[in-house]
Amino acid sequence: MDGKVIVVTSGKGGVGKTTISASLGAALAMQGKRVAVVDMDIGLRNLDVVMGLENRIVFNIVDIIKGKCKIKQAAIKDRRIDNLYLIPASQSDDKDTIKPENMIWLTNKLRKEFDVTLLDCPAGIEQGFKNSIAAADEAVVVCTPEVSAVRDADRIIGLLYAQSITPKLIVNRIVPKMVESGDMLSHEDVVEVLSIDLIGLIEMDDRVVVATNTGTPLILQEDSKAGMAMQRIALRLDGHPDLPIENPMIQKSFWKKLGSKFSRKN
Amino acid sequence: MNHNEDPPVKLKGVGDSLWVAVNPSLPIEQLKKELIKPFERLKHLAINARVIIDTGKDDQENNDQLIETLGSYLKAEFQVGHVTKPTPPKRSVNRNRIRQQDMGNAWHHYRNDGLLIAGRVRSGQKIQAKKHLIILGDLNPGAEVIAGGDIIILGCLQGKASAGQPDNENAIIMALEFKPTQIQIGGFVAAGIADSSGNQPEFASVEDNAIVVDDYVKGNPFRRLAWPEVR
Repeated sequence: MDGKVIVVTSGKGGVGKTTISASLGAALAMQGKRVAVVDMDIGLRNLDVVMGLENRIVFNIVDIIKGKCKIKQAAIKDRRIDNLYLIPASQSDDKDTIKPENMIWLTNKLRKEFDVTLLDCPAGIEQGFKNSIAAADEAVVVCTPEVSAVRDADRIIGLLYAQSITPKLIVNRIVPKMVESGDMLSHEDVVEVLSIDLIGLIEMDDRVVVATNTGTPLILQEDSKAGMAMQRIALRLDGHPDLPIENPMIQKSFWKKLGSKFSRKN
Repeated sequence: MNHNEDPPVKLKGVGDSLWVAVNPSLPIEQLKKELIKPFERLKHLAINARVIIDTGKDDQENNDQLIETLGSYLKAEFQVGHVTKPTPPKRSVNRNRIRQQDMGNAWHHYRNDGLLIAGRVRSGQKIQAKKHLIILGDLNPGAEVIAGGDIIILGCLQGKASAGQPDNENAIIMALEFKPTQIQIGGFVAAGIADSSGNQPEFASVEDNAIVVDDYVKGNPFRRLAWPEVR
């Protein structure tokens, strides 16, 4: 059976598309799937850095499309996680180098080799975005609880529906403390505006910065909340759609709870 | 005979005109003679005056000839300005009857050119309607709707709405949750207010050359209309 192609997109930049692509790829691979993660951000590649595979790039996606190499030559195997491959972007070309037809051709080949292909879409709605969604079967829209990110995600969702792709939503970088104090949009607010199916909530986690800077997979860090959230999203994406979504909340200790109960009475 | 009860010619001032009631059954020469007396009394007031010649309720068509003859006679003899038939009062008498007919069945024949849309209008999407636009759903921030007539949003209005384009200032914009980024009615523009409550249905309309937003339930502008009418 052919594998599926999932595009990770957001519209706005800097909301965590690349980190989520890398982590979801790692999580799916750990669940036993053969996974290819494709960097679609030609000219501004950084998925290779986040995955810690930068120094092993020989060929890239543009080389595959131009016929200079085979997919197997360009795909970089992750040494820590089995069945995880990266197809890096070219840093010296630009996004107009490839066309939607090229992507459809490439993904048709990838579907035969891999169970899941993740496309890390660049920010914006220009050629890079068009290339990414042309070939996708499913879409994951990443949004942070910020008004500007919600605005852009809304536009992206409209464009995905126009391509008859029904997207799913990840709300990233939730700070439960700020949500509780009313300084940040809650995921309910985001879902109310975007009105698409939620597939995961990821809490703000300092470990993500460390993991992306050092190129270590986030999900290998056992106690990372964001990493655990990614693993649950990966399960939901692949065969367990009914896994309940955990709402990040402030973890109040037993004594604090007790204290607050007494203080309320007095 | 009935004719003897009515005087052959009656004259009174109505608005800016002279209302001349004549008895059409009398011969034309007698009517002309009868007209001389009151018009001579008017003297210079008759000059350039507007004259309405009323020949009574029945036989309107047959009396056109009579009105024309009498009219040219008055113009020649007394230099009156304008001679017409009494049409306006007839219309006002009929108005109620026409409206009652409207209520009965005229709606069935009215073809609506409004646009009814269901669903969510997202950022970057733009909907244009020639006349009225009704959206059963929400208008997200960044979305834009434009209508020649009214805009009614049965949901949350958060985007940009332009009603009465290009120049209908009687148009309204109504939403169950009224939180627009910007609204336009005709040539008037208003920026949305950040702290709008948005909890009750509100509508925007043009009052005294400015866009005013009011609670729809309290300030319903159509309650004052005497009859239901096509908008």
